[in-house]
Amino acid sequence: MYNTQNLSQPQPSAGQLVRSTITALIVAMILLVCVVLPSEYAVDPTGAGRLLGLTEMGEIKQQLAEEAAADSARSEVLTATPVITSTTATPTPTKTVTAPAVTQPTSAPIVETETAVTKPEPVKPAPKSKTVSFVLKPGQGAEIKLEMKQNARVNYSWSANGGKLNYDTHGDPYDAPKGFYHGYGKGRFVPGESGKLKAAFDGKHGWFWRNRTKQDVTMTLEVSGDFIQLKRVI
Amino acid sequence: MLLLSSIDAAFAHGVATGDKGYIQESSGILIIPFIYLGAKHMVTGYDHLLFLFGVIFFLYRLKDVGLYVTLFAVGHSVTLLLGVLSNISVSAYVVDAIIGFSVVYKALDNLGAFPRWFGFQPNTKIATLLFGLMHGFGLATKIQDFDISPDGLLVNLIAFNVGVEIGQILALSAILILMAFWRRSIHFMRHAYTANVTMMSLGFLLMGYQISGLILAQ
Repeated sequence: MYNTQNLSQPQPSAGQLVRSTITALIVAMILLVCVVLPSEYAVDPTGAGRLLGLTEMGEIKQQLAEEAAADSARSEVLTATPVITSTTATPTPTKTVTAPAVTQPTSAPIVETETAVTKPEPVKPAPKSKTVSFVLKPGQGAEIKLEMKQNARVNYSWSANGGKLNYDTHGDPYDAPKGFYHGYGKGRFVPGESGKLKAAFDGKHGWFWRNRTKQDVTMTLEVSGDFIQLKRVI
Repeated sequence: MLLLSSIDAAFAHGVATGDKGYIQESSGILIIPFIYLGAKHMVTGYDHLLFLFGVIFFLYRLKDVGLYVTLFAVGHSVTLLLGVLSNISVSAYVVDAIIGFSVVYKALDNLGAFPRWFGFQPNTKIATLLFGLMHGFGLATKIQDFDISPDGLLVNLIAFNVGVEIGQILALSAILILMAFWRRSIHFMRHAYTANVTMMSLGFLLMGYQISGLILAQ
């Protein structure tokens, strides 16, 4: 019979089983409240999660999820091209309607985005340099983007001024498809970094920093070279 | 180098979310969070649980349960550490297909198929250890995908492994309680046959799922 020894083993009594079940349920509830909720949702009614360092994990996960949601919402706004309906009034024979004269819009519709919908006139940007500095609180992130033409180069150097930052250097073309990612490099708990950045395509290229330490960090970025403009996005 | 992220992964500035996102944002020794992640991985890893369920199906003495679970744990601890630290990368599909096969194997073993078909009973302890090694490669492959910081890696990996054991104990406790209820029924032996055939079918399903993934995934 099967591969087992004999089956005349002593079975647990019904009462014992009920006790085991109740114990299992209590253990599960304790773990849910003290471990799982802090780790996943940063919900920590007992304070145990904070003590164990799990609430922090939950906070980071929540923060990343919110930012990802905001990010995809933003990219949806960016990719939504304004629809311009040219209203050509067809004269109706039955009656004349006094309508305000339709003038062709002379200026492009104003879209509140950071992306130029219409490509700017080719500018010959003179090499320029810029220095930016700001403070990042624990958990805070910041993003600076340079508008650059393909193959344009800049020299950059950023420093956490004695602190440490996580960074992700990446670029987005003008109308990046959803989920697009082109990375130039990333790092964790880095005191600073310097080098050359060569734009892989027309668009916005730059750095996302995050302070994952417990103290405020002052970030200083120096950029010089061939860029059209520098903008703090986040 | 151009990195195109998969569409189904949620990214904020190229940062993954969830457990992977947390790991990619962290550095240094984080013992308790990694214990949690290991336990979560085990409790939510249905393929590992299915195999364990098969292993303890006919084990009645807690001593035996402990022995087999220890064998399984030793197996996957070895390959988890070895795989991650030496950066051995096995296709996740292949490993998971083997894990699916381990479920099929254990179901057949429980049904007593080997003596009937081949005239001998393979050593169940050695089989458990070997499949433990396989499951560990599966865990290692998934951890490599997490991109853990080299800072504090070994300690965090050991913590993850401890977490896997804790998760195993928790899951097994629940399984054992349910099994005890079930074994009290006079129909248990009849159910047992059906249950193991069902388990075998699930094992085949897992294998098919992973092998088709291997063929279809770019």
